[in-house]
Amino acid sequence: MDQKSIISLRGLSVFQKNKLVLSDVSLEISSGEFVYLIGKTGSGKSSLLQIFYADLPVEQGHAEICSYNLNAIKRSEIPYLRRKLGIVFQNFQLLDDRSVSENLEFVLHATGSKDKQVIENRILQVLDRVGLISKLKSMPHQLSGGEQQRIAIARALLNDPEIILADEPTGNLDPETSNGIMKLLLEICKSGKTVIMATHNYSIINKFPGKVVKCEEGSLITN
Amino acid sequence: MMKSNSSSQQRRINGAYFTSVISISLVLFTLGFLGLILLYANNLSNYIKENIGFEIVMGNGVKEADIIKLQKHLDTKDFVKSTEYITPEEASRRLKEILGDDFVSFMSDDDNPLLPSIDLRFNAEWANNDSLAIIENYIMQDGNVKEVYYQKSLVSMINKNLRKIGLVMFGFSLLLLIIAIALINNTIRLSVYSRRFIIRSMQLVGATESFIRKPFVVKGVLQGAISAALAILLLLGIIETLRENIPELKLLSSNNALICLFGAILIGGIILGAFSTSMAVGKYLRMDSDKLYA
Repeated sequence: MDQKSIISLRGLSVFQKNKLVLSDVSLEISSGEFVYLIGKTGSGKSSLLQIFYADLPVEQGHAEICSYNLNAIKRSEIPYLRRKLGIVFQNFQLLDDRSVSENLEFVLHATGSKDKQVIENRILQVLDRVGLISKLKSMPHQLSGGEQQRIAIARALLNDPEIILADEPTGNLDPETSNGIMKLLLEICKSGKTVIMATHNYSIINKFPGKVVKCEEGSLITN
Repeated sequence: MMKSNSSSQQRRINGAYFTSVISISLVLFTLGFLGLILLYANNLSNYIKENIGFEIVMGNGVKEADIIKLQKHLDTKDFVKSTEYITPEEASRRLKEILGDDFVSFMSDDDNPLLPSIDLRFNAEWANNDSLAIIENYIMQDGNVKEVYYQKSLVSMINKNLRKIGLVMFGFSLLLLIIAIALINNTIRLSVYSRRFIIRSMQLVGATESFIRKPFVVKGVLQGAISAALAILLLLGIIETLRENIPELKLLSSNNALICLFGAILIGGIILGAFSTSMAVGKYLRMDSDKLYA
């Protein structure tokens, strides 16, 4: 892993339910890069992201992310790795039994914040960044898909992560809303975060260019 | 529209919580009711055993002072629940009550053929043939005692029948306990199952397992405690109704025993609530995402 690399994969094989989906993957991603992970459905994009957030174990090869060696990571260390990552999903995965503010509060409490004022300020900061400060007290089901995704991005930003992992973040959104989300992700990238986004929406890549890594026939091809 | 969605979702959550509390209460009530039956059965068994007659017949001409001395000596023994000194006159009076005829009226007082005796009642744990034989030998060592009389076959039959009933009740209780634990566990697992995706979301934002588990377990403890309180209230209602209609039951249960039973229901409810919740949450914390979304 060179000095600037925040993700380093060497000879990695990715298995999903004992089935090999990607083999001999080698990849270096540096801080501040915007990387598209593309490929057909089932090509291994999401599985590779799962490796990044330690949801799938590394069985073959070497993987390191945010200074965590994924070959040797303990179960108890996984939450701490995830605090260095902000994860955004196609289906948002907000806690639907609590309000926007409580969703964000939960993350800060879960990651050790205790000061009420600090928590309030941080929530207002991230909501301001995604342009949804007015939705503080709304429940997730009261928001549109685009708004829910913005809240999911705000949640991902709460702990000032080094990397944002976005798995098809525009998959459930109309083109106009998708553009808004892409602009937001690019802004986040410009502020120094690494953004890795899995997608199969090529029009987005054309509109918002970035580094492209393609999952194809069990291999990873870097453009 | 949004407000009505929100309130209907809240109603659904509250409804599910209420249903699960009621289900657990009913199971705990059934367990408590069985406990109550066992308590009454045990006290009834002791009551029967403690009323097995054991008569120490004294020799002719033994002085009253010696009899009272023996009675006091026996009162100090662990196996004795109570003693009663029966004079020949008292024995005669009781016999008259039973037979309805004054059979000694044609004799002078000196001719009363009945001997003085001590009527002894045992503590329940000593009321078996083996112990009674040892006690009989011990009492017969006193030179003033002529004979000891009790119905060996009755003691044996009582103990045999009580043992049989006890075994059946133990088996039934064990079965019901297993069913109750399985039902409560299942109710709680279903309630956690409906929140499995929330657990998953919590994991993905970097919450530790203990942080995720804690609020669920607290809720499980509360659920167990509320259910136990409801079950206890139902049982109190049943006990009061039974006591009003069957006054003899008052003799068979002490308040201390009932407090112990209610304490056991409360602690059982809390432990089951906490344990089942913790196990159910642990299952989803360890579950692969493939299985979770399958």
